[in-house]
Amino acid sequence: MGILENKTRARVFYKYLSTVYDRINPFIWNEEMRADALSLLDFPDPEEAMVLDVGCGTGFGTAGLLEHVDTVYALDQSEHQLEKAYAKFGKRGPVAFHRGDAERLPFATDTFDVVWSSGSIEYWPDPVRTLREFRRVLKPGGQVLVVGPTNPENTITQKLADAIMLFYDEYEADRMFKTAGFEDVKHTFMGPSYSPDVAITTIGRAPE
Amino acid sequence: MKESLLEILCCPLDKHDLELEDAEYDDDGDEIVSGTLVCTECGERYPIEDGIPNLLPPDMREGTPA
Repeated sequence: MGILENKTRARVFYKYLSTVYDRINPFIWNEEMRADALSLLDFPDPEEAMVLDVGCGTGFGTAGLLEHVDTVYALDQSEHQLEKAYAKFGKRGPVAFHRGDAERLPFATDTFDVVWSSGSIEYWPDPVRTLREFRRVLKPGGQVLVVGPTNPENTITQKLADAIMLFYDEYEADRMFKTAGFEDVKHTFMGPSYSPDVAITTIGRAPE
Repeated sequence: MKESLLEILCCPLDKHDLELEDAEYDDDGDEIVSGTLVCTECGERYPIEDGIPNLLPPDMREGTPA
């Protein structure tokens, strides 16, 4: 159990991290990896698609989603992270922003076609409970996609990483997503050429 | 936030509908810039701050003791 699994600590950590986050981020999660992850999803008609980005942070994943759909619903707990996202997209642009908790989503059941979350799962206190919330807000047959970290050995956070974050392998991911009720669960490893398996991307579907 | 967003929002705690109170709109009248979202079941209140709904559960809001 990492220390960020206490939400108050996570909030303080993010307050300071948001000042450097977009500089750190490309090392572990770049545009090529984002494009690979996006290619795993089936997007409905861009005008009608209901897409949620949980833990949108500074909006790196959100920007990728906007290449496929007209509107993204985005949620994050950290005002400091969101300020960066507001600067990119505006507060009243193509992104409908919300402050909220991934584990207790403020959205109605059966709302979204796609729920996306990149770089957030490592801070969730109870990943299965959060994934169950994702399944609840997905329409039947809707897709979930979660990107998280695998092994900290090759990241710049290697010393701290193990103490503050959740890391998991495909067996653990499989267990978490299936326990949360997802079907057709599949995993893909992604990373830059020098570290090709630094991130694990898991997709699944809410039961019909 | 757009008023139509209310159709998909719910209380993060008990998932019941939210009711809009004290809404102020922008000049065009199509965006809510401030107001309060109130749970029709538990009565918990969630502020809309500069157009962004703050739907953090009360234990995660700023100023909440750890």
